[in-house]
Amino acid sequence: MCSFHMPKTPTILAIESSCDETSAAVVHQGKVLNNIIATQTIHENYGGVVPELASRAHESNIVPVVDSALQKAGINKHQLDAVAFTRGPGLLGSLLVGTSFAKSMALSLDIPLIAVDHMEAHAMSHFIDQPFPRFPFLCLTVSGGHTQIELVEDYLEMKVLGMTRDDAVGEAFDKIAKLLGFPYPGGPLLDSEAQKGNPEAFRFPSTEVDGLDYSFSGIKTAVMYFLQDSVKSDSGFIQRNLPDLCASIQHTLIDMLLKKLVNAAKQHRIKQVAIAGGVSANSGLRERISELAETLGWEIYIPDFQYCTDNAAMIAITAHFKYLKGEFASLDISPDPRLGH
Amino acid sequence: MVNYQEVGEQFLVSDPRQLRPVAEKIIQFAGDHKVWLFNGDMGAGKTTMIQAICQAKGVVDAVTSPTYTVIREYRDLSGEEYYHFDFYRLKDLKEALDIGCDEYFDSGNYCFIEWPDLVAPILPEKYITINIQVQPDHDRLIKVTKND
Repeated sequence: MCSFHMPKTPTILAIESSCDETSAAVVHQGKVLNNIIATQTIHENYGGVVPELASRAHESNIVPVVDSALQKAGINKHQLDAVAFTRGPGLLGSLLVGTSFAKSMALSLDIPLIAVDHMEAHAMSHFIDQPFPRFPFLCLTVSGGHTQIELVEDYLEMKVLGMTRDDAVGEAFDKIAKLLGFPYPGGPLLDSEAQKGNPEAFRFPSTEVDGLDYSFSGIKTAVMYFLQDSVKSDSGFIQRNLPDLCASIQHTLIDMLLKKLVNAAKQHRIKQVAIAGGVSANSGLRERISELAETLGWEIYIPDFQYCTDNAAMIAITAHFKYLKGEFASLDISPDPRLGH
Repeated sequence: MVNYQEVGEQFLVSDPRQLRPVAEKIIQFAGDHKVWLFNGDMGAGKTTMIQAICQAKGVVDAVTSPTYTVIREYRDLSGEEYYHFDFYRLKDLKEALDIGCDEYFDSGNYCFIEWPDLVAPILPEKYITINIQVQPDHDRLIKVTKND
């Protein structure tokens, strides 16, 4: 694939469609110019409404989103040096839309195609805006679908040190919030309620698994038992104790997250620690990790929130480094929902 | 010997370690039925039951909750594919159809489905249902039925 003219300052279009969000971004000389995520406004310009989920939604999102990214970057498609897409992990139907679109574009423009691993991109999101972490660093990626600790040794070199064996931590937040009566997904609502409560009011057993892996299924069940028993003898228990319950549950989940992160940092003698994924917006996690940083002398990196949730900017920045290394995909590549397994 | 009580296609489980032999019984009971529905409240142990079944089938991938991604795909040692669904966060049947779940159900591969009520209208005629009920003492009563 090295027959292409290869500028050192590439302009790359990136597409992300691994789950719910359809997103496109343009990166030029390693600087992300924009990060467009399908919204009602983008659809209104095309006279449509934003569909809620999944592959057919991506199909109607992708043209407006890509168009908008190119327009806002002030370039036309003939100025692109490569097209990048999320290959996996994710939902096959959703991945297919981005993959097919990127392949068609690369073929018709006769430019290289770059396949990006969604999880690798989360870790690379720390290179969108300064300050950048130094290698090696640890990245805790926490979202509705993922919970893992990675050792990032170079731009495109990382090892997964531990991951959840059942539920992702974001899922635990959302489902426990549901048990407390919040609408699903209620993780962010639980977080704001927790700020008014006492984190030591209730104790919940945290689940221990070996090594640096996580398990969040047991605490969900423990909270369920606890609430059932408490409501049996006092029907107003949840309403009266809501802030304390939220604060205590949040405290327990964050304890579990940070314990393994601290162990990983000790084992690998690392003081550069980053967090990524949608749950890095959680105020409790941000507060506790900052406290830890002071105690342990860590330097902490948290990307801007728009780069924490699923987004194309992180795909774009990863693609930039792949471009510089000449890591291109051939046009017969297909999406891989199991990528990383 | 693992200690569980069995009444017909019913299992009373008091420890997660008892799930593996139960999984083997369910596999035997299912025969060539490839679509399996898992009912039970949040926290009842649907994903945990599916983990035990996948382990018994020799699945090599990590089996984790598909609530966020809706579908997860696994392979076993022989390369056979398994689909693990969770329709908890979907709002209507149209969303499930948009994902193409009818095509997965017709694929001939194992389909393990959590929160299956949403897709009831498009299920194939042959499926088994695994109901997991939390008992007052926190034991789990697992009932398996077959639809032909």
